[in-house]
Amino acid sequence: MTTALLSIRDLHVRVGEREVLRGINLDLPAGQVHAIMGPNGSGKSSLSHVLAGKPGYEVLSGSVTYGGQDLLALAPEQRARAGLFLGFQYPVEIPGVNNAYLLRAALNAARRERGESEIDAFDFLTLVKERMALMKMDESFLSRGVNEGFSGGEKKRNEILQMLVLEPRVAILDETDSGLDIDALKVVATGINTLRSPERAILLVTHYQRLLDHVVPDAVHVLVGGRIVRSGGAELARELEARGYDWLLEAA
Amino acid sequence: MNAATAPRPAPPPGSMSNAAYEQRLRDAVMDAAPVLNSRLLPVSVRSAALNRALAAGLPQLRDDLWRYADLRYLGSAALAPVAPEPAESLQGAILPLLPPRIEGFTRLVYGNGRLQAALSDACDALQPSALPLVPERTRHERFGWLNDAFATDIARLVVAQPLKLEVIFAATPGTTRQAVYPRLELQLAPGTPLVLVERHLGSTGAEGTINAAIQIHAGAGSQVQHLRWQGLATDAQFLDTVQLAVDRDARYALTQLSMGARTARTSLRAALFGAGAQFDLRAVALAAGRRTLDHSLLVDHLGRHTASNQVFRAIARGQAHIACRSRVEIATSAAGASSQQSLKGLLDGAGAEIDLRPQLEIHTDEVRASHGATTGALDPAMQFYLHSRGLDADTARALLEWAFLEDALAGIEPAALRLAAERGAAAALGSAIAGELVEEPR
Repeated sequence: MTTALLSIRDLHVRVGEREVLRGINLDLPAGQVHAIMGPNGSGKSSLSHVLAGKPGYEVLSGSVTYGGQDLLALAPEQRARAGLFLGFQYPVEIPGVNNAYLLRAALNAARRERGESEIDAFDFLTLVKERMALMKMDESFLSRGVNEGFSGGEKKRNEILQMLVLEPRVAILDETDSGLDIDALKVVATGINTLRSPERAILLVTHYQRLLDHVVPDAVHVLVGGRIVRSGGAELARELEARGYDWLLEAA
Repeated sequence: MNAATAPRPAPPPGSMSNAAYEQRLRDAVMDAAPVLNSRLLPVSVRSAALNRALAAGLPQLRDDLWRYADLRYLGSAALAPVAPEPAESLQGAILPLLPPRIEGFTRLVYGNGRLQAALSDACDALQPSALPLVPERTRHERFGWLNDAFATDIARLVVAQPLKLEVIFAATPGTTRQAVYPRLELQLAPGTPLVLVERHLGSTGAEGTINAAIQIHAGAGSQVQHLRWQGLATDAQFLDTVQLAVDRDARYALTQLSMGARTARTSLRAALFGAGAQFDLRAVALAAGRRTLDHSLLVDHLGRHTASNQVFRAIARGQAHIACRSRVEIATSAAGASSQQSLKGLLDGAGAEIDLRPQLEIHTDEVRASHGATTGALDPAMQFYLHSRGLDADTARALLEWAFLEDALAGIEPAALRLAAERGAAAALGSAIAGELVEEPR
């Protein structure tokens, strides 16, 4: 318990009038991949957003501890610089801001936070091109606007690329698998597996089990009605795939 | 507090009395007489202009052309032109204002309305004794008449060879009780390419004005790439009248950056009178605090198959006010004309205001014309995305504002002008982006 990199305790969160998270408890230890599964509207994306600090979510009670500090007290950019990464379900397009600029600005923000010098332009390009090759992305992408005119699959690959460049300690991937064809899914899975390491933790938020065939989780949690109603190993995901969520909805 | 001691509310724009303005004009004539050069502009031209200015008076409150211009200061501002000053002290004041040289450009520097030879390059195109270029003006350009009457010196250029020229009009704070009248007259010979950078820099304080008049005739088949740079100090009061005539098959690309001044008004008219003339305007306006930037742009399509494209991007922070009226008129003689206008504003402050008014008047068939205007705030989803990547609020904001402007700046040719424009805009947004551009010119 004490080794958890990310620790969520009795987290209650409201959006507008609706309580979307109603007492979440979760420990994410370093070195592990956990999956959060659940039907639509169960609070999966809300959990991702709250952890990343998206405005509009009111924490009613509970706590989130990240590497020993109070995560909820940090601004979104401070969370990012401290090594927390959110892979968006719907990455926004930002015409006019080019990918290379954003990647470098993001990387340097994290490096400054750690007291390191800014990355040399040559080292940066070497790093990015190596990661892009892994994600099977064309180099022309660097000079394009952030997600501008990207297909759904390209946007998701771009999220994973950013993750690979930033090398976060905790990555939360919000339905990164949705909308991907099988080839893109494998590329994305390769990217995620590349980042697995004893000092990192990954939280995969997903509706379907298919990503979990390629990124085998250490634990699976089922979120229903804003609560985790069941936790188990990788086999739980396969059971959900076979039986659907209905039997758990009744339990909730 | 009793009624007798209560401060009077500030008068609304344009409500200053015409009588007071008229008196100031007449006073200015007395003060100006000894310092005006009648060889540059004949007395007959000056007095005719003054009479028109007097007849026109100040814009009235209801005048749609002037609705958003902040002209309150004209009630107290001096209008007489600056008297000649000792060159050394003037140049000492100007020197710190001068930007780095752009490679390959001839530079002319005007200080408080007079050529500063010591700071300027030799330029064969500069021909003070050439025929004056004094365009017909309307009430839309009424403050241009003041320039006709009071201009102390003229950047009068006759360009018959390809030229890259930078003209800097600097005003210095030593001139607070007087007005500065920058003036540029340029005739471009047929088929000639011109790259022109025109900068307005400096300051006037509360009691002075800078009143610029720019008139350019682009001959048949000529190509003009013109960057206008208004980077005045935030205590400057700027009136700006631009009249462009574009002849047959000439291509005129104008980029205007309005970044400085406490209050500025640009009245611009481009007459596309030759068949096949093209005019491409990209204008960027950035203001913060309580500043006002007003633009009234008029494109007259007179020749057949003339084409115009206008992109206007404004960012108002704090309680700043930016306005743009952009009018396109397509005359009966302009069959086959095409026109596009895209005006966009970004509000970044609870008290900021942007007024965009595209207008289109068509008097012939067979034209293609489109226009659009939108004003909004920064997209919170974009801001959060950048925050989630570790960018702080100020950096994210500057980056998104930069991106908002970029479609007005990205297409500027040649690259030296684009880079200059991008650096200026980035610096005005006050961010690390400017440093990034220095490192990585595209």
